[in-house]
Amino acid sequence: MSALPIITLDGVRILHPHNPKSSLLNDVSWQVEAGSFWVVAGLQGSGKSALLETIAGIRPQASGSVQLFGETIPIRSDDALALTEIRRRTGLLFKGNGRLFPALSVLENLALPRCYHRNETLSEAASDLAPLINYLELDGLLEQIPSHLGSSWSRRVALGRALAQQPELILLDNPLSGLDTTQMRWWRQFLRDASQGHPALGGSPLTLVITTDELTPLLPLGHQFALTHGGRWTVLGNRAAVHTARGQEGVREILGEIH
Amino acid sequence: MAPLPSTFNRAEVRKLGLRFAPSLIETIETVTHLAAFTLITLATGWTRFGQNSRVIRPRTLHEIHRSGVQLLPIVGFLGIALGVVFVGQTLALMQQVGASGFSGTLIVTVFIRELAPLTAGLVVLARVGTATVIELGTARALGEVEALEALGVDPIHYLVLPRVVGFTTSVLCLSLYLILLTLTSGYAFAFTRGLKTSPAEFFGSIALALNWLDFPMLLAKTTSFGAAIGLIICYHGLARPLALDEVSQATTRTVGHCVIACLLLDALFIALYLFL
Repeated sequence: MSALPIITLDGVRILHPHNPKSSLLNDVSWQVEAGSFWVVAGLQGSGKSALLETIAGIRPQASGSVQLFGETIPIRSDDALALTEIRRRTGLLFKGNGRLFPALSVLENLALPRCYHRNETLSEAASDLAPLINYLELDGLLEQIPSHLGSSWSRRVALGRALAQQPELILLDNPLSGLDTTQMRWWRQFLRDASQGHPALGGSPLTLVITTDELTPLLPLGHQFALTHGGRWTVLGNRAAVHTARGQEGVREILGEIH
Repeated sequence: MAPLPSTFNRAEVRKLGLRFAPSLIETIETVTHLAAFTLITLATGWTRFGQNSRVIRPRTLHEIHRSGVQLLPIVGFLGIALGVVFVGQTLALMQQVGASGFSGTLIVTVFIRELAPLTAGLVVLARVGTATVIELGTARALGEVEALEALGVDPIHYLVLPRVVGFTTSVLCLSLYLILLTLTSGYAFAFTRGLKTSPAEFFGSIALALNWLDFPMLLAKTTSFGAAIGLIICYHGLARPLALDEVSQATTRTVGHCVIACLLLDALFIALYLFL
């Protein structure tokens, strides 16, 4: 029996954020099964971030339908209350510094979703999050404010915030860009742990969708691959299929840097 | 529709219409959106009352501290200055012209009903409101609001409600504080200038000039000023996506809209006083 789809996209069209008359991505139809690890590759500006934000329900699609955990994401953004439960089961890591809240400390950033949804105090949330904080190696940074952190550590805090509610689905927007080798090693290990299951991450394997503009570090890790290129959406398939499609337009550019 | 009188130059009217039409449409749109934003905020407050209290309550207290407690010194200074400038001089002048009996009525009508709530509202707007628009506008421009939504945190509940409650409470309390300080300092100043009225007589004349309607009206006026300022600030900061360079324009717009809203509300309360 095939696994239940966590994400179902059907004929989704996403508009350009700064030019609502032009499409960023057209006709995206896609299913993501529970426990799978998808890598969405594409050049910068090809619509990867917009796709993740649409799946997370914070950027409405122009047309088509998005289902998360079997629930349809409403297009109208003022239906935010209806999305709360779905969002609690989904973690989204924004690209760059992860959009941390600058007025809150690292601990407050990490604890916010738990404090809000479970009505916990900061110390209760900190105690609950201790294994995750330890796993993320953030113990020494909890009192810092985000502006005092480097980009890679900010991203790790943002990852912790996305994982704080123990989501079943994690959407990671280009987390490996601009990392040094130590950070890269840590992230690769995290992706392995998340896809296989780790006690600090809730125990069960997470469903992962990660975007990248450089496929090399993710090729050995991902299970399934898709491509955004020139407004088109292409599901490539597994690792072998990526190698087969090497000559294709778009795939060539993504792999171009290593071949 | 009746045709335009022949004395009008149609081309000029059309030109005039075209010139004012965009700003008229923009004003109508702003008012409509602001009304919708107010309704959404009220609905959120109603449906989520008491929920997530361990996050929302400290944020509300923080906002009360920021827009209220931290403004006590400046409002105190204003209260003393207004007391000397307005109350003290009024008392001295009324005594000179032999109309001391009207001092209470004058102070209640001009200061307690009108100036005090308006002054408190404008001080909160100037000292905290503008900073709040910049804060919210920047948060919106940098995508922090989407980050809240992605975490399932309702931005209206988390960002707007504590601020609106904070501003409302602060304008109410600061108005009362301002009234108390102004009356006391005004009397003290007038006393040093040879006022022959005792404190009991002075405060008694104020109490006599007040009627029962003044108390609920003062409460309604100050809370509506605070709520209007809070809502307009949050609307301009959050309701539509801003680019970073638009935040300063949004701040200027907010100040103008808040002042207009307070004056319109003031006019409404004056009308209510006249009818009741």
